Amino acid sequence: MIEVRDLQKSYGDLIAVNRVSFSARPGTVFGLLGPNGAGKSTTISCISGLLKPTAGTIRVGGFDLAGDAVKAKSSLGIVPQELAIYEDLSARDNLAYWGAAYGLKGDGLKQRVDHVLNRIGLMDRAGDLPKQYSGGMKRRLNFGCGLVHEPAILLLDEPTVGVDPQSRERLFDLVREEKTKGTCVLYTTHYMEEAEKLCDELAIIDHGKIIAGGTLDELRAEFGGNDIIRLTGSFEASRVEPVIAGLNAGVLSLTPESLMITISEGARVLPAVLQAISATGADIRDTRLSEPNLESLFLKLTGKDLRA
Amino acid sequence: MRFIFVTVIKEMKRRFNDPGGLISAIMIPLAVGFLMATVMGGGGGQPSIKAQLLVTDLDDSFVSQGIISALGQDRITDMIMLQKVDHEAGQQRINEGDGSGHLIIPKGFGKAWLEREEVALQLTVNPSQSISPRLIREMLESLLDLGDYLHKVFGEELKIIARSLDGNELTGISTSVFSANIADKISGIADLVFPPAMTVEDITPQPETASVSFALLMFPGILVMAAFFAANGQSTNFWTEKEKGTLGRWVASPNAFFSFWIAQWFTAMLLTAVVAFPILLAGFLYLDIRFEKFFTALAWLALTGPILFSVLSLIQVLAPSKKAGGMISTLIMFPLLMVGGSFFPTETMPKFIATIAQYTPNGRLVEPMKGYFTGEYGASGMFIHVWGIMAVALVLVLLAGWISTRKALA
Repeated sequence: MIEVRDLQKSYGDLIAVNRVSFSARPGTVFGLLGPNGAGKSTTISCISGLLKPTAGTIRVGGFDLAGDAVKAKSSLGIVPQELAIYEDLSARDNLAYWGAAYGLKGDGLKQRVDHVLNRIGLMDRAGDLPKQYSGGMKRRLNFGCGLVHEPAILLLDEPTVGVDPQSRERLFDLVREEKTKGTCVLYTTHYMEEAEKLCDELAIIDHGKIIAGGTLDELRAEFGGNDIIRLTGSFEASRVEPVIAGLNAGVLSLTPESLMITISEGARVLPAVLQAISATGADIRDTRLSEPNLESLFLKLTGKDLRA
Repeated sequence: MRFIFVTVIKEMKRRFNDPGGLISAIMIPLAVGFLMATVMGGGGGQPSIKAQLLVTDLDDSFVSQGIISALGQDRITDMIMLQKVDHEAGQQRINEGDGSGHLIIPKGFGKAWLEREEVALQLTVNPSQSISPRLIREMLESLLDLGDYLHKVFGEELKIIARSLDGNELTGISTSVFSANIADKISGIADLVFPPAMTVEDITPQPETASVSFALLMFPGILVMAAFFAANGQSTNFWTEKEKGTLGRWVASPNAFFSFWIAQWFTAMLLTAVVAFPILLAGFLYLDIRFEKFFTALAWLALTGPILFSVLSLIQVLAPSKKAGGMISTLIMFPLLMVGGSFFPTETMPKFIATIAQYTPNGRLVEPMKGYFTGEYGASGMFIHVWGIMAVALVLVLLAGWISTRKALA
């Protein structure tokens, strides 16, 4: 269980994390979704004890991180965004070392290392140095180092950055396994697909603030059941905007090359929408109709694309 | 405590898996030591200074032969190696720098000396040498003083000998008188010249410095250089782990951050022992040092590693980046090695630099070890020097730990 209350982290005048509060429960994956620089990594660094918060409280596994750091940290497993492995130690030695760092020893440590090597798919390369590994294999080892001591709480800071699709799927499986085991997983990402696939609960963070939170369904409900229509081509804003207003649709984004709107019963009204917009002189080259997703939600909340 | 031990093992594995640093720390000091000892001509166990005096005897009298035989006495041959040469060969060899000096005893020297006429020995010295020519000059001046005393005591008898050389042979009566005069004079000065029948037995243990070679003088400096390299490599580990992200894992783990530094400290100790072992072995074999000193010397060196590591770590954590830390420690390390006696023994340095050497961390480590190898100190005498330095080193490493905690969290 992670409980964060009014967490603030400032660097001089710059407020990197601004009064962030959330709770993550055992057996769930809690996602922190936001663009680069939103404050996700700063938040996770505060929870892992790497950064000292300017204000606020953090409780990890029932222990206050500031007052009872050793007990709080004992229940944490960390998978940093950047690789944090010894490239001059074999995968087995890396795992054994980090297991020992959390008090594992003897046969228990050996069995646990073998188990994790199997889970991350590196058993056949266990004796090799990571400098001989591919990027995906290094990522998996980085992941393994975080869970070798069977932590009750797992902090994953953008664990799939730079990972090939095959390794990514394997990492997703590992996250799901941890969740099934009852581990509380805090997962930061700026990939909406990952958040949608893995997370039971989400907090959308931007400029250090949580701007929306809840389950995926709760967040989708922000759209009131509307659909999303995305158009690409060429559009003249001054002519398109009055037409959309007349269609009882909402503009999520409008640029000279793209248009995204929310509208109820999108499939039924799509031909009429296309006809009305074409009548403004717009050149429509591609059309997509979808249910609301995190990307569109983020766009609605912040007025900017999450990938930007 | 267990995790410190596990961390030391992990660090040693890392060094052995990537042995470039270890090999450099062994090979560079060995190469420097070998080159310096070769250039300076100091072999293992050989006397370091022995003058080579070339002598040309143009006089060939019993006086000139007396000089040559005096220079050939056992005590003198420990310092001066005498070689008779003809005039041209002697001049040519000195001009080519072969030999410390060329002494020419001119024709008529013996007769002139006996008759106390003005006469000179001609000495040409090798300008590229300083100590050996001085040794030869002092030896010759002592001989000339002796000649002067002989004239003062046996002046009349020497004149008689001189006349006999001109063909005035001594009669039986004059020979008896001559002999009786010499005997009287010797008995007259006997109380002054011959020592009383009382001796002083010097039972002070003789230091082993009698045959200290240049290589032996350099050897402790070479060992400390290796310890310096090993410690320097380990001191950069703070930045390496910070860059690799593993320091973050450390901070996030339930272990106290100071245990990271204590583990690094012990690693520096083990690494130094590993690096010093082959150099020590090579030195003991080459210099023919008694093997019973081997493990004591190794233990001493193992203690020097953490001391140097502490100094270098403090430099590293005070630096703003790994690159700056590397540059600053290199800028400090090499002058320290030069001044502290790793490239040149302090015995060959100008006095003021040798004094500075005593105040450098490595200089303070070199001298006790040198004393141990040359017999000046026993093992306990050597270790007495280390405990105070170790205490300072521990304070320095804790200071480095305290500063680095803030940097690790930054």
